[in-house]
Amino acid sequence: MNINDVIGGLSLLFSDMSVWLIVIPGILIGLIFGAIPGLQISMAMAIFLPLTLYMDFMQAMLFLTAIFTGGGFGGSIPAILMNIPGTSSSIATTFDGYPMSVRGEHNSALGIGLGASCIGVILGYSLLFFLIGPISEMVLKLGPAEMAAVILWGITLIASLSGANLNKGIISGLIGLLIGTVGYSEVGVARGTMGSVYLLDGIPAIPAMMGMFAASELFKLVNSHYLVEDKSLRKVSVRKIFAGFLHAFHYPVALIRGSLIGVFVGSVPGVGSSVASLLSYIQAKRKAKSPETFGKGNPAGIVAAEAANSTSEAGSMATLLALGIPGGGATAVMLAAFAMHNITGGPQFIREQTDVVYAIIFANFGQAFLLIILGLIFIPLLANIVKVPMNYLVPSVLAVAVFGAFGLTGDLTGPITVMVFSIIGWLFKRFDYSVPAAVIGILLGGMAEESLIFSYQISGGLWSYVLQRPVTIFILIMLVVSLFGGKLISMLTRKIKQ
Amino acid sequence: MNLKTVKFTRHQQADFVVLLALSSLVIWYLFDAYSASSHFANLILILPVSILVLILCLIEFISQLRGLHQPPPDLDPIASMLPVILLFIAFVLSLEWLGFDVGTFAFIAAFLWLHGERRIIWIFAYSISFALLMSWFFSAMLPYPMPMLILPTAY
Repeated sequence: MNINDVIGGLSLLFSDMSVWLIVIPGILIGLIFGAIPGLQISMAMAIFLPLTLYMDFMQAMLFLTAIFTGGGFGGSIPAILMNIPGTSSSIATTFDGYPMSVRGEHNSALGIGLGASCIGVILGYSLLFFLIGPISEMVLKLGPAEMAAVILWGITLIASLSGANLNKGIISGLIGLLIGTVGYSEVGVARGTMGSVYLLDGIPAIPAMMGMFAASELFKLVNSHYLVEDKSLRKVSVRKIFAGFLHAFHYPVALIRGSLIGVFVGSVPGVGSSVASLLSYIQAKRKAKSPETFGKGNPAGIVAAEAANSTSEAGSMATLLALGIPGGGATAVMLAAFAMHNITGGPQFIREQTDVVYAIIFANFGQAFLLIILGLIFIPLLANIVKVPMNYLVPSVLAVAVFGAFGLTGDLTGPITVMVFSIIGWLFKRFDYSVPAAVIGILLGGMAEESLIFSYQISGGLWSYVLQRPVTIFILIMLVVSLFGGKLISMLTRKIKQ
Repeated sequence: MNLKTVKFTRHQQADFVVLLALSSLVIWYLFDAYSASSHFANLILILPVSILVLILCLIEFISQLRGLHQPPPDLDPIASMLPVILLFIAFVLSLEWLGFDVGTFAFIAAFLWLHGERRIIWIFAYSISFALLMSWFFSAMLPYPMPMLILPTAY
């Protein structure tokens, strides 16, 4: 690390304070787009991308990363209050955030989410500050075989965690994988489309997720009067939100572990924040003294999910800056902003414009502090949702989901997908199948197939190729251990005792 | 265990039907993918995953037959949810003709009436204002035209 570059980065940020003027609107745009189901962070960045033409490169980066930071937390607001992940990266936040809301602890849950998000951003970019070089080297070593193994491991872990029936959990995850492969394959044939041209590009994953998570839950809520039944618990309290914010600091292990997972998983192109937050959640649950409290409103679950979710932003920025590869939709828009300013990310960029890289990292520290202030101002407004009677809230949220789904696909495929998957989700919940495992399967099915095909092509069809990939073998061993490890240990312990 | 002596609840019977439907869907998808192309790359994921799902479904079927799974105790009655599900289906399927503006208004008004709201003015005021606000907001934000019946659109 060159100290001159660090000083150069700081002077880029603070020599002209007008650079910071666009950060506040950026965070607000991110918060709003993240908080409205169906409006994605990448969509917000794409809509406002033309504005960056009138900014210099530094301002443009600050504006776009501010939307990214705001959106990262914004998605957790509907996840906590309505069980609707505002973005796919907030799926894991629903597991404990929503049960806390139902219990009347919505203020605390929102505060914890904000705290974990802000700390996550700071920790993530701190790690990025020191590790941008090694991370970019590591990412280049991960091939399609490792990606396929990670996806299978992730689905197995999620299936084993949700619901009482492991068998049904794995069935759900695998069916999700199959659904994720509907549409045109790599060999150019359409599968499972039933002749519909709308399904040629596959089943829209985000509307399917909205249907399975949100609409199916709302059907269950039609008989309730309020989200929080106890009137005395329905109050919106800035004091409690702030207390919740501070409470996030009580889980340092979950925060640090989540941040590490977020940075490393987030840096893998295409995997991104949703997988990072789920893996972090799973690890928090596995390591917890009372894992049975997870999924029932354990604050550590929110901390783990939100820390990884917001840190993965730093990970994906690492890949973008160091390799010029966008990890997902949001960084793809940022790559477009790079191109608009005639800048190419990659090793040369890092080498020659290190001060700019450090300026982006330092700017995100500032954004995290601004997010605390803006979050504490806006969360109380949004938390009032718990005071809305269910007979008004349910149809309104269902309608917003339908509007949002249309926004994602640009035609009625989105709303119809929400409708179909809301019924599937409702059936899954009723008969103890795992909705999260199915959703992750749908999100990653296409990628899993692609990774397998690439591995097959690279290996020339030889199975021995896997034996030459130690990381793949390690992940597959972890998969088997996570499935049977617990049972094996208890069996061995029993035998030893006998 | 004599299966004739095992009495299955309605929930368990429905559970069988869901399991059967899922297995049938997987078999159909496998054959559809195979008939589209028997190329190895086309089936590299679908074939092993389908076989695995079918094996797991069989294991699940056997354990259900043996009555190993007990239904969860706190299930809401289907009768109370069915009207909402049907109303939601009608809302989505009518969007092409009613548009987002009128369709949303009709859906919210019908839902409110169905769930005990009897203040007609309130029903109209809320559903009209919500439908118009959302239709206007999304049509302004999205780069493609939305189906509308009253509001201007290029759909």
